[in-house]
Amino acid sequence: MKYSTFCQTDNDQLQEPMFFGQPVNVARYDQQKYPIFEKLIEKQLSFFWRPEEVDVTQDRIDYQGLPEHEKHIFISNLKYQTLLDSIQGRSPNVAFLPLVSIPELETWIETWSFSETIHSRSYTHIIRNIVNDPAVVFDDIVRNEHIIERAGDISKYYDALIHDTLIYLKLGEGKHELKGTTYDINMFELKRKMYLCMMSVNVLEAIRFYVSFACSFAFAERRLMEGNAKIIRLIARDEALHLTGTQHIINIMQNGQDDPEMAEVAKSCYEESVEIFRHAAQQEKEWAKYLFKDGSMIGLNYDILSQYVEYITNLRMIAVGLEPIFKNASQNPIPWINAWLVSDNVQVAPQEVEVSSYLVGQIDASVSVDDLGEFEL
Amino acid sequence: MTTSVQIMTEDMVFELAENESLLDALERTGHHVEYQCRSGYCGACRIPLQAGSVDYPRPPLALIRRGEILPCCCTVNEPLTLKVHLRSKKLAG
Repeated sequence: MKYSTFCQTDNDQLQEPMFFGQPVNVARYDQQKYPIFEKLIEKQLSFFWRPEEVDVTQDRIDYQGLPEHEKHIFISNLKYQTLLDSIQGRSPNVAFLPLVSIPELETWIETWSFSETIHSRSYTHIIRNIVNDPAVVFDDIVRNEHIIERAGDISKYYDALIHDTLIYLKLGEGKHELKGTTYDINMFELKRKMYLCMMSVNVLEAIRFYVSFACSFAFAERRLMEGNAKIIRLIARDEALHLTGTQHIINIMQNGQDDPEMAEVAKSCYEESVEIFRHAAQQEKEWAKYLFKDGSMIGLNYDILSQYVEYITNLRMIAVGLEPIFKNASQNPIPWINAWLVSDNVQVAPQEVEVSSYLVGQIDASVSVDDLGEFEL
Repeated sequence: MTTSVQIMTEDMVFELAENESLLDALERTGHHVEYQCRSGYCGACRIPLQAGSVDYPRPPLALIRRGEILPCCCTVNEPLTLKVHLRSKKLAG
C-alpha cells in the first residue's frame, strides 16, 4: 500500500497486521492490538540515561597503564560497538517505519532506535576521554577489514528490505524494469526480507554485542576501565530489552494470527534463520581471535569466549523457536558475567566511583490501610 | 506463601523457602540457571516447566513460550517439575 505520513482512510487499527497493512495515521495508544509494545516503550523510557552522567576520567589513567595488547582489545571492541549502534541507531527507523501498521509498534521502533543513538553518543564520550585524538579510532572503523566484513553481513538484510520496499511503495507488486534491471516485487518475497531482517537484528542484539560486553566486564573485574563498564551495563540493560522486543515480533510473525502469510514466510525462512545464527556465531569467534591476536587478557581467552558465544547462541535460538546448533554448549563458561548484567537496578556499590543510575518516576502511589496504622487524630 | 512448595528438578527435590523467588531457590540449591535482569524483561532465566503451573503478579515483558516459565518473577503455589540440572553435574558431564 502506498505510504502516506497520515493516511486518511478510516480504518480499525486493531485489525491491521504489524507490517504491510495500512500505514499508521493516528498515533493513539488508548487501544492496542499488542500491549507488549507499549510496555516495552514505558520500560525503555524508565531506563533513560545520558553518557555524561558517568565519569570516565579514571578510565583515561587506567587505559594509559594497559599493555599494548589490552589496549588493542579495549579499543577494537569500542570500534565494533560503534559500528553496531551506528547501524541500529538508524536502520529500524528507515527499514521498518515505512511498513509498520500499528501505532504502538511504530512508537516502539522509534523508541528503540533512539536509545541506540544514546549508545553511539556514549562511545564518543568514552573515546574522547581516553585518547587524545578520537578521529584515529573512528576513522579506522570503515578501514578495518575485521570490522567492515561484519558490517556487510549486518547491514545487508536491512539494505535488501529497504531496497525492495522503496520499489514496492512506489510501484506496487509486479515486475518492474528500472534502468535496464528487472525487479520482481511480490508480497511473499518482501515479507521474507522483513522476517530475515528481523531475525538478523535479533542476532545482532542477542549475540554480537556480547563478546564486547564480556571483555568490558573482564577489565572491570580487575577494577580497570570501570567507567566504561558502567556505561556498558546501561547499554546491556537496553539491549536486553530490545532483544525482548525482536523476540516478541518474531514470535507474533511465526504464530500467524497477526498475518497468516507471515507464518508461512517464517516456515520458509527456518533454514536461513539458523544460518544467520551460525554465521554470526562464527564471525564473533573470529572476532575473538582478532581481539586476542597479540595476547589474551586475564580471565578471558579465545577458547572461553568461543564457548560463551556458542552457549548464548543456543539460548537465543531456543528463544525464537529454533533448534540450538552447538551440541556441547549447555553451560555458561563465564558465569561471573551475569553479575554485571544484572540490570534492573544498575545502582552501583557505594565504594564505586559514582552512582550512575537512578530510577526516574518510580514512586509508588499505592497506600494500604496498614500504612496508616499508627496514625492518630 | 504460607506453606512451602516442593520443587522437583532433573537431579533433586527441594522446598521453596518463604519469600524466596524460584530463581533464588534454584541458585541456592546449585542448579544451572541463567539470569540477567532478574525482573522479568530479559527472559534470560526462562526454563522448561514439565508439571505444575505458576502465576505472575504482573505479566512479565519477556517472551515466554508455551511450557516455559520465568523463575525470577513467577509465584509458585503448587508443586512443580522443572527441566533443570545441577550445575556441577552438567560440568562433569
